[in-house]
Amino acid sequence: MKNNIRVERAIKNITQADLADLIGVSRQTINTIESNRYVPSTVLALKIARVFEKPVEEVFFLEDND
Amino acid sequence: MRTRFLFPYWCRYLGYALFLIHIPVVLFQKILGFDIPGQHIDNGGLFSPHHLFIMDTTLLMALGLFLAAFSKEKIEDEQISQLRLDSLQWAIYVNYVLLIVSLILSSDTEHILFLNLLVPLVFFIVRFQWKLFQNNRMLKRDGNV
Repeated sequence: MKNNIRVERAIKNITQADLADLIGVSRQTINTIESNRYVPSTVLALKIARVFEKPVEEVFFLEDND
Repeated sequence: MRTRFLFPYWCRYLGYALFLIHIPVVLFQKILGFDIPGQHIDNGGLFSPHHLFIMDTTLLMALGLFLAAFSKEKIEDEQISQLRLDSLQWAIYVNYVLLIVSLILSSDTEHILFLNLLVPLVFFIVRFQWKLFQNNRMLKRDGNV
């Protein structure tokens, strides 16, 4: 699964730390998600999408091998 | 996400402290006394001084490792839980490989038992902390952008 959290953060002009605080996880978690080393749970994905005020599909996408 | 069955964060340091305390106590036993050959006669007795000493130090060690291994992180989230689960799986694999190898190669059951007590928790702690360290390093490298 891929995501464009980095881009969305840039649009909203918030840091990884800000996003982490907003959804109540550690900065490390945001970093691992952005670098595609960790796939978040549905709950977390929904929370992240809610911060960016977009549907989940616009923040996270399936890859061909998923 | 709620994590159950974990000790509070400060228990980690209590755990490390207990484990560190246990080392000089065991060294003291090995070097200075208790283990003198003549005393081995009453080794078998339940609650003999020797038995009590072994029990105390083992309890101290096991409790220390337990607290260090299963205390909460500062921020508990699902990624940490995943890491913990992965590390536990690795620890069990390593423990069973070592256990089977040592059962084949050795018949020293007392030491095998001791190894079995020590390896899963120590390997778990080392692997888990190493992964956390890697995450922190990557966070620093990527910069907080």
